[in-house]
Amino acid sequence: MSITQISVFVESKPGHMGRVLGAFAENDINVHGFSASDTGEYGIVRFVVDDTQRALEVLKTMGAAARTADVLCLKLDDSVGQLQKAMETLAAAQLNVAYCYSLASTYIAISVRDIPSAEAALQSAGMAVVSDEDLAEFMVGETM
Amino acid sequence: MGTPMPTPDKIDFTKLPIYKPEVECASRERIRAIQLARLIQQVEYTYARVPWYRSQMDEMGVSPADIKTLEDVRLLPFTDKAALRETFPFGMFATPLDEIVELHSSSGTTGKPIVVGYTKEDMDVWSECIARLAQMAGVTAADRVQMAFGYGMFTGGFGLHYGVQRIGGTMIPAGAGNTERHIQMIEDYGTTVLIATPSYAMHICEVGESMGFDWASSTLQVGLFGGEPCPPGLKTEIESRMHITCTDNYGLTEVMGPGVSGECLAHRDQQHIAEDHFLWEVVDPETGEPVAEGEMGELVLTPLDKKGIPVLRYRTHDLTRVVTDKCECGRTLARMQKVRSRCDDMLIIRGTNVFPSQVEDVISEIDLLAPHYHIVVDNETGLDRMTVEVEIKPEAFSDSYEEMKGFAGEVRDKLRSVLLVTPVVKLVEPGGLTRTMGKAKHVDDLRK
Repeated sequence: MSITQISVFVESKPGHMGRVLGAFAENDINVHGFSASDTGEYGIVRFVVDDTQRALEVLKTMGAAARTADVLCLKLDDSVGQLQKAMETLAAAQLNVAYCYSLASTYIAISVRDIPSAEAALQSAGMAVVSDEDLAEFMVGETM
Repeated sequence: MGTPMPTPDKIDFTKLPIYKPEVECASRERIRAIQLARLIQQVEYTYARVPWYRSQMDEMGVSPADIKTLEDVRLLPFTDKAALRETFPFGMFATPLDEIVELHSSSGTTGKPIVVGYTKEDMDVWSECIARLAQMAGVTAADRVQMAFGYGMFTGGFGLHYGVQRIGGTMIPAGAGNTERHIQMIEDYGTTVLIATPSYAMHICEVGESMGFDWASSTLQVGLFGGEPCPPGLKTEIESRMHITCTDNYGLTEVMGPGVSGECLAHRDQQHIAEDHFLWEVVDPETGEPVAEGEMGELVLTPLDKKGIPVLRYRTHDLTRVVTDKCECGRTLARMQKVRSRCDDMLIIRGTNVFPSQVEDVISEIDLLAPHYHIVVDNETGLDRMTVEVEIKPEAFSDSYEEMKGFAGEVRDKLRSVLLVTPVVKLVEPGGLTRTMGKAKHVDDLRK
């Protein structure tokens, strides 16, 4: 089980991310979560949105460089030590986290090469991994 | 050298007409004999009629009688744009204005324009030079030739117009602009040849495609390009999308206008120089001394029978190399490599000469990059640093910094292997670099 994330190549210049977000808003696409990091000149901005297909079409029309990727979406209990438990579980299974970010504070997206193994490891540690559909349901009224 | 281009299948260049075979296919000895006889006359004519040259030559202690061989041209003074500017408007003219039948001028974007005048004989030579290059592309009296250059003071419009009429072609003087009308006229009049700048031809192509015009079944067969350098990639694209064969020619207002040399279909990165009318030299741009035959250097031109404005040893600032072996098309006239760069484009980066056209060549061969680039040179850190901004195509994007860094590294390595300088490669998003038409500004040199 995984969710679909959209990554967009964005130059690190004022207004470039706003342009993407503006296009999402104009097309009624809701952003559940995002992560923006920076290598200096450009960044890969990652989004989890409510309508991935439409978001991709919008980006394509804009001529933007964008692609989707599968990531795990983990639902954490809102209590001390949960995030640590998730990371330690993956570490114990020898799975490296390429990047991870939180959607709402208790939903975090995690990129790993081997999603099934990571999912199995986390589930056997008693943690809840969610799907795109689950997320849509949980996120009603909880959007960013 | 640019990317070699295949000769389109539909044209067998060995069967094309040659406008003046007695000159274009003459032996090298015969060509040199014509050149020498004309050079001697031209130097006498110029010395007698143009005070600027007389005083230059007197100062150098050279007289027309010193010209006994073609190599003696090196005794003569160079001419550059400044001399033509200083004498604006008619100071370099060798004939009274009543013998001049037409004036043209350069654009004058950097100061006063340069005005040139043509006598009746000059117009004859000019239109013959154009007729030759039109026939190199296969144009004949049967063709309907649509002009998409602007007329006016620019030499391209009227120059090509007279040349096409010289071979009996039907000129359709549409002029620049109004792209839909151009496409309508191609359809209505059965136009077979289009004269345009390559960037405008590309625009006509795209507008036609968006209107649903079917280039494959149109009457158009040939494009005669000029007005700006034509990158090989652009030409290939126009040829395949418009289903035509395109050639371009070289020339400059100061020595005549278009038609100094033209492309035959045997060597698509070279152009035959009209050597009976122009003596060429290739010199080291720094020293002005000749380079060995076939070596790269600055093209210097002396028109051999120009009456209105005779110019001696004009420094073109264009870089090329010239070869004199016989061409497969049958012509023996020397071939110059198409000009891709000018001496003033050259960047010296940590002591190495770098030309923007080299960057263009590397970029155009990488599928995942759009054919646009921008070069920034600075020395903020004390050393020269060259940054090349390149535009990724959407399919080049991966969701991993590591892979993007790897891709930038590959581009850097390809550039390094050609430039012999290690640039910083900066990836820019699709559409992120400014599009420019014609003489594009590709370089910002911020060095202090």
